Amino acid sequence: MQSFLNWLDARTDYRQLLAPIRNRVLPAGPRWAYSTASCLLWLFIIQLVTGLLLMLSYSPSTTTAWASVHFIEQSAAGHFLRGVHHFASHALIILCGVHVVRVLLARAFQAPRELLWVTGLLLFPLMLLWAISGNPLSGGLKGVSQIEVEGHIIGSTPWVGPIIQRILIGGEEVGHLTLTHLYFLHVGLLPLLVIGLLLFHIGQVYRHGLSVAELGGPHDDVSHWSAPNLTNLAAAHPLAMMPPRLKYFPHQTVRNMTVLTVVFGIVAAIAWQHGAPLDAPADPTLPHTPRPEWYFRSLFELRRYFTGDWEFVATIIIPAAVLGFFVLFPMLDRKCSPRVSAVLRVLVVLCGVGTWGGLTGMSYLRDWKDAEYIASSVEVDALSARARELADRSLLPPEGAITLLRDDPKTQGPLLFARHCASCHSHVDASGRGLVASEPSAPNLHGFGTAEWISGTLDPQRIASAHYFGKTKFAEGDMVSKVKELFDGIEEVEAVKMRDDLKLVAQALSTEAALPRAAAAGHDAQAPIVAGRELLSGRLSCTDCHRFHDKGELGSAPDLTGYGSREWLLGMIGNPQHERFYSGDRNDRMPAFAEDTEHPERNLLSRRELNLLVDWLRSDWYEPPMTSVPAKPRNPILAGN
Amino acid sequence: MRRRTLLKWVSGCLGALCASVVGIPGVSFVLQALRKSGSDVDRVRRVARLKDLPIGKPVAVPIVGAREDAWTVHPDEVLGRVWLVKRPSDAKDGAEPTAQVAAFSATCPHLGCAVQHDAKENRFLCPCHRAIFGLDGERVVAKKGSQKNPSPRAMDLLDCRLVTDKTTQEVWVEVTFQKFEQGLTKKVLKA
Ligand code: FES
Repeated sequence: MQSFLNWLDARTDYRQLLAPIRNRVLPAGPRWAYSTASCLLWLFIIQLVTGLLLMLSYSPSTTTAWASVHFIEQSAAGHFLRGVHHFASHALIILCGVHVVRVLLARAFQAPRELLWVTGLLLFPLMLLWAISGNPLSGGLKGVSQIEVEGHIIGSTPWVGPIIQRILIGGEEVGHLTLTHLYFLHVGLLPLLVIGLLLFHIGQVYRHGLSVAELGGPHDDVSHWSAPNLTNLAAAHPLAMMPPRLKYFPHQTVRNMTVLTVVFGIVAAIAWQHGAPLDAPADPTLPHTPRPEWYFRSLFELRRYFTGDWEFVATIIIPAAVLGFFVLFPMLDRKCSPRVSAVLRVLVVLCGVGTWGGLTGMSYLRDWKDAEYIASSVEVDALSARARELADRSLLPPEGAITLLRDDPKTQGPLLFARHCASCHSHVDASGRGLVASEPSAPNLHGFGTAEWISGTLDPQRIASAHYFGKTKFAEGDMVSKVKELFDGIEEVEAVKMRDDLKLVAQALSTEAALPRAAAAGHDAQAPIVAGRELLSGRLSCTDCHRFHDKGELGSAPDLTGYGSREWLLGMIGNPQHERFYSGDRNDRMPAFAEDTEHPERNLLSRRELNLLVDWLRSDWYEPPMTSVPAKPRNPILAGN
Repeated sequence: MRRRTLLKWVSGCLGALCASVVGIPGVSFVLQALRKSGSDVDRVRRVARLKDLPIGKPVAVPIVGAREDAWTVHPDEVLGRVWLVKRPSDAKDGAEPTAQVAAFSATCPHLGCAVQHDAKENRFLCPCHRAIFGLDGERVVAKKGSQKNPSPRAMDLLDCRLVTDKTTQEVWVEVTFQKFEQGLTKKVLKA
């Protein structure tokens, strides 16, 4: 081995090249505090490696982004790598902040280290940009709405704002080009910029060594520092010779690696436990209230105080001024005596951290108290879980993940119902949960077509209640009086018998609906159904008014053939005035939602919407098998990014 | 010395020439995003029947159409939503019936979130930064406290008229769907 290395060195001179690293000496000895720099560098390398690996399977476009990220999530390794990439980016930002504070407190920005300070300060916003350019790449609801808002923020900057916005978004609206542009930034331009600055930054560290302050030497006299190498440094500061001159490698290195192991261990553990979030595929038709990442919460809060044309003060001027202040801080500092400088620096750190923390806290507090926001993030979490559930079921169609929730009755049903039906109908379960009509004037449709729902229409008490026909003109109609008649003047024993008969009828009728849940629950035993059918057309003479298969006539009451089935509901909602349902003036205020078959665009509901609504009313949607452990409820605020 | 200067100039120019061969198309490629996107035909749409609109309670209608996105076209997409507000007709006979319905773009003039209807107060509310608008689309300042209205202007009023269908004789609301720049005090049509 050694001889090979000698051979290599003879040809490449690599020992000479590595000498600055191998022979680097820390005059004041190794310190734990120095580790922030090295830890940042290694986290950065971890980001490069995990990012490159993720690129193997990621595809940026609105049709493929979410799908490819979900594909990555399917494998344990992909899930873990993406988790590391996600959480390490947060760790990187936190460490960046810690590093800046440490350097500031150590007064390590003094001449000749100004460029070190400036490049470091520039790296910080670049890092943030890098992080936020990555968030929307998953094509998720939160990331994409964040970039929309960020685009608008850029766009509302005077002069160049709109142009930059359009280039960033790649046109008027978020689309394929937004993702390819962000991808270009995230994996191309920003890494190049950051790597360039970083190399310069590290080069400066080697050139100038540690600062006087960090060495514990005198603060006031900077004149020695014109000579940049360590020999001079030691000569200028005999004190620095006092401790044994330990080499950086491995004495500082072991501290660095320990800190890195702890930080990376935390990142890896969280990544392993939780993985990076993947929310519902972005869809502008889904309601969502975007919030920025935690590191931008303070600006988000600040923006509340600058409205209208002044908004760019909060979004551009103040952040730029803060950055400028820090860049120029060494000049201010030079004018101060060491004692004043120390007080000043502590003050700056306290004010900075205090303001940042205060604004961030206020913003979270506001959301914490905002019931509507919490409700909306709970909803988004539910949508996200549902989207993943549907995507786990099978591979995605070529149109991409957006179809998952759009074609899902469980998701679209409540939205459609709220928009089109809930002005009259409620849809609430026995405990009162669900969609409540704004002015209930029609039956509650929860469980429509089930034996339980139908038996309500056959119960003299319930049929005239507000849950059924109580608020409609049928409250005085034939059906209500007929049901009441059934129980008129009969003895208790007979009433019990009658109730049992009606139960059979309800059961028989509900099989007409062929509800998927009912069949799954085994509610389709044959004997009672046959009995119920006989009662229906026989002794109870329902077919006097209703048609039921080959008995009875249409025209005086709704058809009971296939009652509550998909086909029956499509017809009923499409056009309730059809002779199968409530022809002529028997219809009570129910609009026809899809009567015009020639001009479907004039209907209140498109064919697709109608299908979704009907499937939802019939609870006909995909549910995953009940094997998975229910997810832990997440904190909607802290997870709301 | 003169020769040296000339040689420096020549190498510089040749370098600049080569750089511009990549640079010029490079810049124009980046600026492609500034070009106007595809044709926007038929912005006028029938959105609702007049008789289906309740009085004094806003109704949101989707605007459906083809949406182009770089290399794909989505034929039936919701391009945006429009809030329709039907006012009680205080007009005497013969007055312009158009005044009866107002159409507002549901895109918040602040930063473009979807403006929602606050049923409790019967007014509009943008959930993102809580801009509040009255049923006339004007900004409303929440009574309590210092909270200002984040929206720079009122909701964007869209052109809207009533037409009678030739065959069915039903009165329809027709809306000209347009988008406006967000974040400005003035209403500027999106280029
Ligand atoms: S986007 Fe509507 S208030 Fe900000």
